[in-house]
Amino acid sequence: MQAPSAPLRIVLAKIGLDGHDRGVKVVARGLRDAGFHVIYAGLWQTPEAVVRTIADEDADWLGLSLLSGAHMTLIPRVMQLLRDAGLGHVGVLVGGIVPEADIPRLQEMGVARVFGPGTPIQGIVEFLRERSEAAHA
Amino acid sequence: MLEPLLDRFRKHDRNALARLLSMAARGEIGSEALAQIPAAAKPARVVAITGSGGVGKSTLIGKLIEHLRALKEKVAVLACDPQSPLSGGALLGDRFRMPSRPDDDGVFIRSLATPGGQGAVAEHLDLMIRLLEAFGFGVVLIETVGAGQGDTAVRPLADVVVLLLQPETGDDLQWEKAGLLEVADIVVIHKADLPGADAAEAQVKASLALSHGPAVPVLRVSSKSGDAVAALWEATRTLPLRRPRFNPEARGLLDLLRDAVASRFCKLEQSANGPFQEIVREWRGGSLTPEQAADKLLQLISPERSEHGDVEADR
Repeated sequence: MQAPSAPLRIVLAKIGLDGHDRGVKVVARGLRDAGFHVIYAGLWQTPEAVVRTIADEDADWLGLSLLSGAHMTLIPRVMQLLRDAGLGHVGVLVGGIVPEADIPRLQEMGVARVFGPGTPIQGIVEFLRERSEAAHA
Repeated sequence: MLEPLLDRFRKHDRNALARLLSMAARGEIGSEALAQIPAAAKPARVVAITGSGGVGKSTLIGKLIEHLRALKEKVAVLACDPQSPLSGGALLGDRFRMPSRPDDDGVFIRSLATPGGQGAVAEHLDLMIRLLEAFGFGVVLIETVGAGQGDTAVRPLADVVVLLLQPETGDDLQWEKAGLLEVADIVVIHKADLPGADAAEAQVKASLALSHGPAVPVLRVSSKSGDAVAALWEATRTLPLRRPRFNPEARGLLDLLRDAVASRFCKLEQSANGPFQEIVREWRGGSLTPEQAADKLLQLISPERSEHGDVEADR
């Protein structure tokens, strides 16, 4: 759909009651420096607000950061709302504190990848580029 | 690919609007597609909010959105933030400061990366404005990149330019310089809850009093307290719509006209002798300025009969 030269647009958001935004800001900065267009939606977003942002911004990716432990409640809701809004094509990444056991369950819901603490930015960048090239091949 | 998208747009599909805006931003919408976008029922009021980085443009737009929604106005925002000249990346952090209710279809916010050297606004903004007004947004707010003294490119795109200043930004000579202050239709002393706002207001008013043209209102506004946000909209609403109306059919004609002129120019260029070469010689020799030469060439080209039919070329 999109010209390969156009920078990928990714929305970064924190959903629910979780005030820890240092990590997501570091990721935002890292992706910016890697040539992405990062739309920073910030703290205390509802799943509904995040999906509206994705829709209006015509984003290619959504990155959700959660350190609150509410991921198994909030992420299924985001995935459902994305599908309802006709945005099933948008790739979803999750970052933050997620127990190992939950990762396969999130991936079953359609999450492309979960990145935990200590992930180098370059790992996220390479994953996004590979996936996007595959989608446009 | 474009046809189904335009169809969905005409049926008021918001995702289609979002996708068309992306295509417009990348310069992928040509004049044929443009002609198929329905005309707006009513022209939108396009208001540019400009000023230096950190002066409070996004925050004030957030306040304006609340006020406009209370007045039942549908409002769209095109928020520009800078793109890195090194990596091409961008961190678009304006909508973060603009709270909106996700179930409110009367608000649309799009963040735009803006390459350097564009005068503080993204490319193809006129087209994006046209899409938003065709979709039924009565007010379009343009947030410029944090603008310096010379970033005046937003003026022809907007009906009203609102310039934000803040207390403690310089002495009174600052306001005598040419540039941004001259293109403002309304000046806002933002963060008016801070000390020094009245001094800044007095300096700006003194400077504006020396300029010709219509009087420019200077308002003290505080987004923190909400003071004068309503007064700002009242001042904005009552100014005339200045922006030239965007006419997609005429745009298409302009493209045809360019093609016709170019093809006749090439035909004349190929002839070894004749008035064309004479004009070129005179221009090279310096007896004609480039503008005079272009004028003569236009006269040479226009009497020819149209290639598209037998209609005499009109002026």
